Amino acid sequence: MNNPTIEKLKTQFPDAVQDVSEFRGDAVVTLSRETLLDAARFLRDDPDLQYNLLVDLTSVDRRDLGIEPRFATVYELYSIPKNHRVRLKVPLPWDDATEMPECPSVTEVWPAANWHEREAYDLMGIEFAGHPWLRRILMPDNWVGHPLRKDYPLGGEPVYFTADREDPRFAHLGRQTMEGPSYPSELPEGVDSETHLVINMGPQHPATHGVLRLAVELEGERIVSANPDIGYLHSGFEKTGENRRYEKFIPYTDRMDYLAGMNNNLAYVLTVEKLLGVEVPPRAQYIRVILAELQRIASHLFWLATHAHDVSGTIHSLLMYCLRERERILDIFEMFCGARLTTTGMSVGGLRRDIPGAFPDAVRAFVRDFRGYLKEYEAMLTDNPIWLSRLKGIGVLKADDAIALGVTGPMLRAAGISFDLRKAQPYSSYDHFDFDIPTATESDSYARYLVRLREMEQSLRIVEQAINRLPGGPVRTDDRKVAPPPREEIDRSMESLIHHFKLYTEGYKPPVGEVYGMAENPKGVLGFYLVSDGSAIPYRLRVRGPSFVNLQATNLLAQGHLLSDLVTLIGSIDIVLGEVDR
Amino acid sequence: MGQVESKTGSFGIITTTLELAVNWGRKYSLWPLTFGLACCAIEMMASGASRFDISRFGAEVFRGSPRQSDLMIVSGRVSNKMAPVVKRLYEQMPYPKWVIAMGDCSSVGGPFNNYAIVQGVDRLIPVDVYVPGCPPRPEALFYALTLLQEKVQKQEKLGERV
Repeated sequence: MNNPTIEKLKTQFPDAVQDVSEFRGDAVVTLSRETLLDAARFLRDDPDLQYNLLVDLTSVDRRDLGIEPRFATVYELYSIPKNHRVRLKVPLPWDDATEMPECPSVTEVWPAANWHEREAYDLMGIEFAGHPWLRRILMPDNWVGHPLRKDYPLGGEPVYFTADREDPRFAHLGRQTMEGPSYPSELPEGVDSETHLVINMGPQHPATHGVLRLAVELEGERIVSANPDIGYLHSGFEKTGENRRYEKFIPYTDRMDYLAGMNNNLAYVLTVEKLLGVEVPPRAQYIRVILAELQRIASHLFWLATHAHDVSGTIHSLLMYCLRERERILDIFEMFCGARLTTTGMSVGGLRRDIPGAFPDAVRAFVRDFRGYLKEYEAMLTDNPIWLSRLKGIGVLKADDAIALGVTGPMLRAAGISFDLRKAQPYSSYDHFDFDIPTATESDSYARYLVRLREMEQSLRIVEQAINRLPGGPVRTDDRKVAPPPREEIDRSMESLIHHFKLYTEGYKPPVGEVYGMAENPKGVLGFYLVSDGSAIPYRLRVRGPSFVNLQATNLLAQGHLLSDLVTLIGSIDIVLGEVDR
Repeated sequence: MGQVESKTGSFGIITTTLELAVNWGRKYSLWPLTFGLACCAIEMMASGASRFDISRFGAEVFRGSPRQSDLMIVSGRVSNKMAPVVKRLYEQMPYPKWVIAMGDCSSVGGPFNNYAIVQGVDRLIPVDVYVPGCPPRPEALFYALTLLQEKVQKQEKLGERV
């Protein structure tokens, strides 16, 4: 194995590297807990490595895998300047004397780890020594237990297909809710409610784009700190995924970032395909690109609509315009898969069915018209004095801070870093298309607006190229262990019938291993971490939501601004709470 | 409505009961709460926007405060952490008030039968109309709205806490 990172780590820390493995191109280095912090600093600061972006931090409960010690933390690192990745794994020795296994916190190396570690503490029950404020983040403060541990049940209620109110089995219904009445989370450390005014914004607020709660500390009208309190839409995606077959999790991905269903589908199926080692036919790859880029436009349109609506009521007509154009994209999706929002448009190994005959013309017509619409938006906003005064200079996030906080997507690109996974690590044949990565240097809300607007233009270019150069051929892999055979084949071939039966009764079983898959979503890098134990159900499924990580920047962005600018800030981060809370 | 008597050269006279007249007014001026939870909230917004236009049914005045609204559209999954908030919002709304459970999640929990999600918002607050779908299309929400309008029209006693 000639991975320079691993060689360097081995020479620097000869005793600490316990194990090195590689699976499907992902290098995993197992480190001892004691050297984690030193190794982290080394990986970040070494001029040849420069792992400056902590993509993800998660943990695995390996009880059912039979690996000792039971818990391990996992660090997915990425180097933006060098464009390489590595994964660190740190087993956590644990004796039952302590309540939780302990792991050193890496927040001082990568501040992005803050919320990730709180999440691991909340859902997996891992103590991070040296963490600035280790509290539950997604579950209510008074919740008992750690849901992602393997000894924690999935929960929920049995489903009865009767409607008899006299049935004694109904007596327990609703108890799940009543058992743990939750209360608002406590104020973060450092919030001075004696001299400053602390106000509560959300979870029911028209401008928080969902159920986000912010504890805003004010001095007069100036914001001293704005601390997000999230988890109001926590739906247990990861736990649900660990109880479903690989294929059956695709519909759930729609419901995470529900403005970008196709992109979520794409990121997930790419990860499962990586785990299985399946090749996708070129036609399917092109159609996926078309769908994903249309979805990117739709997501940015919805962002523009709500952002303009929040910032200035006088640009209310823009909401109507943007949603009008978005409906046309949804029409195209409906033509393809029958659904508007929650599309489940992609399938492991390709697509469920080919595009209908009217699809290419509808896409071409949209691309043609939308160029004109984009000019209209620019005419309404780019030089609009209200828009300028509300956005210019608001929420400056410099490149160094952005990378340290793990911020990705248009927010990072508006800070002048030209990082886009579609170019850096092309997937689904993005390298066949000619497009630019729009960047800006001002790093304020206005720069983010410009970047997103330019991104829509680039997406149009990609869609146009893809639809004009659409190759022929099948849209699903012919690997019968993954994709079912065509209907007519089942009538003729006994083997096909068996494949079909096995696939639908047992599902496909990926080899034992773990992969990390990333894709560029409209909001940033969406990551999936899958651990397979060789069965048809993922052993560990982890979602890295870009909104979750980007939202961490709120406090830094808001400090010193006026309370009214908070609405601009939340809008310009572009969050979807379904993905923040998962 | 009651009988209509018209005379030449003067306005017609409508006789009706107070309940019918008030209910008739109420049903065409439902003010929903701007309360979005999850995916269904996006379809709720689409219902209010250009193509579908919820104002055709007189329910376009979305209010940011529960104290100004009389219709709560629970659009999305309700988590255990959110449950007390939903309940409080409902209690803050003045009578008379109605609830539409939009989508599978708020009706029965939907695909999220797990530790985090309340299996139907009717465990917390009374629901008048359930809309199936994941998410329901705007047309389905409009159908629910017309069903609710029928229900409002049939309300017998005014001022009753129903």
